[in-house]
Amino acid sequence: MSNETDMTLRLERLIPMQPDRLFALWTEPAQLAKWWAPEGYEPSVHVLDSRPGGRWRVAMRRADGNEVATSGVYRIVEPPRRLAFTWAWEDASGARGLETEVTVTFEATPGGTRLLLLQERFEGAQARDNHSRGWSASFGRLAAMSADTCQHEIRP
Amino acid sequence: MRTGRTPELDDLFAALADPTRRAIVERLLAAGELSVGEVAAGFAISVQAISRHLQVLERAGLVDRRGERQWRYVHVRTDALEPIENWLSRQRRYWTSALDRLEAVAAARTPKRRKS
Repeated sequence: MSNETDMTLRLERLIPMQPDRLFALWTEPAQLAKWWAPEGYEPSVHVLDSRPGGRWRVAMRRADGNEVATSGVYRIVEPPRRLAFTWAWEDASGARGLETEVTVTFEATPGGTRLLLLQERFEGAQARDNHSRGWSASFGRLAAMSADTCQHEIRP
Repeated sequence: MRTGRTPELDDLFAALADPTRRAIVERLLAAGELSVGEVAAGFAISVQAISRHLQVLERAGLVDRRGERQWRYVHVRTDALEPIENWLSRQRRYWTSALDRLEAVAAARTPKRRKS
């Protein structure tokens, strides 16, 4: 099974840009708007208050008028090394989906920046500190065992 | 993009956030089906406490009970983890394409030669 089933999403990229400039692509509204929204969606950055405790919200509208948004609160803002924020999807009615936390780290490399993105379920800092260590390993075993007994087809 | 309210997912994640409940689910996955007493035998807590954990797991859709007279047998639902996997799969798709776009923006602004 992939690491998707340990309940933490982990993605890594080598990006040919220095960390300070890359960090700005995440924290400046005009920069973020250039890449945040999927193909076919027009983004509008409503608020991007990139300091700890500051809110952020980006709405994305499709040509047919269908709109979704992503939003949350910044938790860690350490330019140009680390950025952490809570994350949830909002549907057209403004209802928020599952609250998670996204942590992005920027590490300088000879060619630019090694970017690491982690997305985990957000349970508040204390709960996370108490539980996260045992969580991944345990759930990984669970998923491996369940793979024998049930075939999941990941549907879009 | 499917978004919005996910009470089912909230319940699933919350149910599995507890180490005892994860251990119960793991035991049931390994054993197939057990009576409530058999589940409790593996833990240093009361049958009543195990029952309460099982109720949380049942409400979250992770386990089913089968009653035979006064005995209650419990097993893990085979489709229980599907909502979590689907949700994670959607997040992965979003972030993978977002990082593709980020990388393209960064590459376009960096005056270095770079292989595609």
